[in-house]
Amino acid sequence: MSFGRKLMLVFALTVFLSVGAVTWIVSSVTRRAFERASEDETAALIAQFRHEFSRRGDEVVRRVETVAGSDAATRMALAVSRGSTDYSSFVNEAKALAENQQLDFLEVVDQHGTILSSAQWPAKFGYKDSSLPAGTAPKVAFLRQEELPEGAALSLAAIRPVEIGERPLLIIGGRRLDKDFLESLELPAGMRAMLYRNLARGFSPEMLVTASDVPQSLSQLAPLIEQVQQQRQDASALLHWSANPADDESMHAIPLNGPDKQLLGILLVGNTRRPYVELRNRIRSAALLAGAAGIVLAILFSGWAASRVTRPVDQLAAAAREVAAGNWNTRVVVSSNDELGALAESFNRMTAELLQQREQLVRTERVAAWRELARRLAHELKNPLFPLQLTVENLVRARQHSAEQFDEVFRESSSTLLAEIANLKAIISRFSEFSRMPQPQFQPVEVNELVQNVARLLRGQLRSPELSSIECRMELSENLGPVAGDPELLHRALSNLALNAMDAMPQGGLLTLRTGGKGDRVIVEVADTGTGLTAEECDRLFTPYYTSKTQGTGLGLAIVQSVISDHGGRISVRSRPGQGTTFVIELPRNLDKLEKSEFPPESVAISGSSARDQVDKE
Amino acid sequence: MKRCALLLLAAASCLYGVVALASTRPHYGGTLRLAVREAPISLYPADPSQSDSPVMRSLYRLIFDTLVILDARGLPQPGLAVSWQADPGNQRWQFAIRHGVSFQDGIAVSPDAVAGSLRAANPNWKIFAAGEGIVIECDAPTANLPAILALPRYGIAKRTGGKLIGSGPFAVKQWDPGKKLSLAAREDYWAGRAFVDAIEIEMGKTFRDQILEFDLGKADVVEVAPDQARRLAAEGRGIRSSAAAEWMGLVFRDDLRPDLSRDEAPDGQSTVEKLRTALAFSIDRDSMNNVLLQGGGEPAGALLPNWMTGYAFLFPTAADMQRAQLTRGEVPQAPAWSLSYDVSDPLARVIAERVVLNARDAGLRLQAVSSATADVSLLRVPLASLDAEVALTNLAAKLGLPQPKFDGDPPAALYAAENALLQSQRIIPLLYLRPAVAVRANVRDWTEDQVGEWDLQTVWMETEKP
Repeated sequence: MSFGRKLMLVFALTVFLSVGAVTWIVSSVTRRAFERASEDETAALIAQFRHEFSRRGDEVVRRVETVAGSDAATRMALAVSRGSTDYSSFVNEAKALAENQQLDFLEVVDQHGTILSSAQWPAKFGYKDSSLPAGTAPKVAFLRQEELPEGAALSLAAIRPVEIGERPLLIIGGRRLDKDFLESLELPAGMRAMLYRNLARGFSPEMLVTASDVPQSLSQLAPLIEQVQQQRQDASALLHWSANPADDESMHAIPLNGPDKQLLGILLVGNTRRPYVELRNRIRSAALLAGAAGIVLAILFSGWAASRVTRPVDQLAAAAREVAAGNWNTRVVVSSNDELGALAESFNRMTAELLQQREQLVRTERVAAWRELARRLAHELKNPLFPLQLTVENLVRARQHSAEQFDEVFRESSSTLLAEIANLKAIISRFSEFSRMPQPQFQPVEVNELVQNVARLLRGQLRSPELSSIECRMELSENLGPVAGDPELLHRALSNLALNAMDAMPQGGLLTLRTGGKGDRVIVEVADTGTGLTAEECDRLFTPYYTSKTQGTGLGLAIVQSVISDHGGRISVRSRPGQGTTFVIELPRNLDKLEKSEFPPESVAISGSSARDQVDKE
Repeated sequence: MKRCALLLLAAASCLYGVVALASTRPHYGGTLRLAVREAPISLYPADPSQSDSPVMRSLYRLIFDTLVILDARGLPQPGLAVSWQADPGNQRWQFAIRHGVSFQDGIAVSPDAVAGSLRAANPNWKIFAAGEGIVIECDAPTANLPAILALPRYGIAKRTGGKLIGSGPFAVKQWDPGKKLSLAAREDYWAGRAFVDAIEIEMGKTFRDQILEFDLGKADVVEVAPDQARRLAAEGRGIRSSAAAEWMGLVFRDDLRPDLSRDEAPDGQSTVEKLRTALAFSIDRDSMNNVLLQGGGEPAGALLPNWMTGYAFLFPTAADMQRAQLTRGEVPQAPAWSLSYDVSDPLARVIAERVVLNARDAGLRLQAVSSATADVSLLRVPLASLDAEVALTNLAAKLGLPQPKFDGDPPAALYAAENALLQSQRIIPLLYLRPAVAVRANVRDWTEDQVGEWDLQTVWMETEKP
């Protein structure tokens, strides 16, 4: 993965995580704020309920007091005090009084709790009122369970006595706690109140009074109701009415007790979570949008940043490649003062150091080479000089002999001297030739044709009886394309390698000439199946004047390496003892050098006869 | 001087007597305004969907004549038929049609018209005109056919131009179905013109609306709920109550529950019958009548009231909670029964609620519901006729009981038939209600028979003094 992609990934991940973290934080804060607001609203509604409860209670008390002070109540009290039990004269009184005072429930009971008249259940005259509070009747309004023909109901009731005569009456009046009561509560948007009449054990959906739509699945309220029934204290729960989270509702349950502390009702305050869920969804949508935009921006920014950051790095890499290719003069422009700038400066110092070291090494090697050259030259010259010295001394001594002997010695010595002098000239000529290696003249060269020309040249030699056991094979890659090179020098180098390969196979073998492509380079391999080389020999193979053969100056492979190097290529050797040797030449195409050349683009191959010269097979 | 004074006093007394006689003597004219609860959408007397209340029967009689009318003792008297005769077996009857009677369009009432009207009212009978009369061949011996024909639904009606007309004392002047009916007295009525010129009937009025209109002077006669009659009378309104003419009681569904009916007790009563007996014993009819009904009725232990049969006192009406609880205790587990009642009837509601309370005292579970399909129904059925057999037959039909069989001579046959119905334990009689009306003081000679039907032909309007 490139640095740019890594950078983009890091940026995108950073943006994503940042947006996610912000979203989570905002959602959490929103949820907490919503819950606080919900709690506040619930508390306000409960306060409102209690206030409304108290206000209505006062109103009920006032109305019941009015009933207790009415003429009808007084008449009934007088009649009862006189011992009358004629319910027929009382039976409709409660209903009329209740209608006058707009009370939903009104009962007139005697001191024993026997109902004399009932507005809500006229037929119940003569029966005991089972819902009377124990002990002293409360002075204020209280929650009461009203027995009705169709069941039971909750009321906000008050009791007032009618103290006339010896048998006082009790007036019990109340207002129904029902849908109308709930509707009278001013609920904030999204809130609703329900009243559960705790008139049966467990949870019964019929006991629920709502001012709005009845919840779809009432059974969800059961655990909350049962919890309040058991614990007799406030409880809360989050209800999921449907799979849609927007339908969720926070439900708060408050127990409502009667005068004898019995749990008669439960006020349920619901607060929809729809606004929160919608807000949360909007936050998530915004986060997704911001995340997407952030990722796009991250891509763009990372691309820009990567290009900005990697450009010096790329320049460094390119410079490193140049250095690796031998261009040690490569310099990197230092355009910043940051780490990359320091790196570039370090690189430039490194290349400068390398240049200095190389020059020093070159100088050292040059001195060593001269020494080696001097040594070789002395060695080479010493060999013919010693016969020359002996011949001249022999000739001097021959002056003491007879003329005939002298002449004979002179003839022999002359021929010897000439031979050795010729030998000396040859030695000097070869050294002179090595010193006069020409610079390559680049022109398009078809490597396959070059290899074929070399093979053609070799085949003439391979017909000789000494070399007939060597087979030459060519494995040429098609569509290889031209390279820019000097055909004569390359021909000489290849020929040298091929001749060396033949020399390496005195017992015969297979000589393989192989071409191929590798990117913008052309590969030429010269392989033999000869005795092979040791690793040490491989290391020293291209050293001038080094030879593994009994004859030769050791300059052949050095010349080959020089030619290849002058073409910008490189040569390597693979060999193992007993398994043959393969020389691998990698030539850059260097076609850009042709633009500066006077040669036409068409390729040129040099035949063996047109070669400028032949490389020694030494 | 003293003689002169006596003469003057005598003359003044005679003058006052003449004036007083003149003010109490019936005279023609005036419009009688009625307000009723009934809201019929048709005036056809044989329409089975219409109510059979005394009010409707009274209205039918204003427009349509019947062949026979019943007198105050329930005996058949000539109406459109001047005479009748039954063949042996009482299955074929001949009725002679009165001459000189015409429909409200002036066309004479012919035997063919009478036969056609009766055939429409009862398709089971074979009816045809024969000479000056008609012949009715019943599908079974019908000894009380004249009493049956006195029922208003056998009023002779004819359709002319899409209108329904009769030969009664009043002609329809305006008819707004369910809202208002205006009638005009017929000058040519065969039994004589009614005293009032017209009758206007406002329909579909609640008791409350009626009494308001009465108090505002917009109605001369209005219905009064039985439980309100005493209070309204105490407040000074002219309240007229008829005899106990409406039966109220509980009717059990015919289909017994198999799991209980199979559990036969040694005494022959099934558990269901025991529970019904316990319920019957638990009901305190006196409290219902005295308190809830404010004396507007009387406790009922039978189907027909005592004034009609003379033996109704034989059927007990008093509550016996101890026996109720004992009987209930003989059944280990009692099902919860549902009790339906007419939710639009406040009286039925309180009676039903009292029944529920009484049943609860006996250990029975009874739940008042408004559903039509309940285990027990609280029903109110007006007595249809002054004839006991016709009334019982009609009552049994309304309650869904088997038709009574009258074998033998009355009243033994009537008692046997009624007792058989009671012994079926399908019903528990509660009360007889007394229909009542509030009548303004200027409405004179207001009369009604014992089953609550009004005789509006004899009513006359006294001119109110300013």
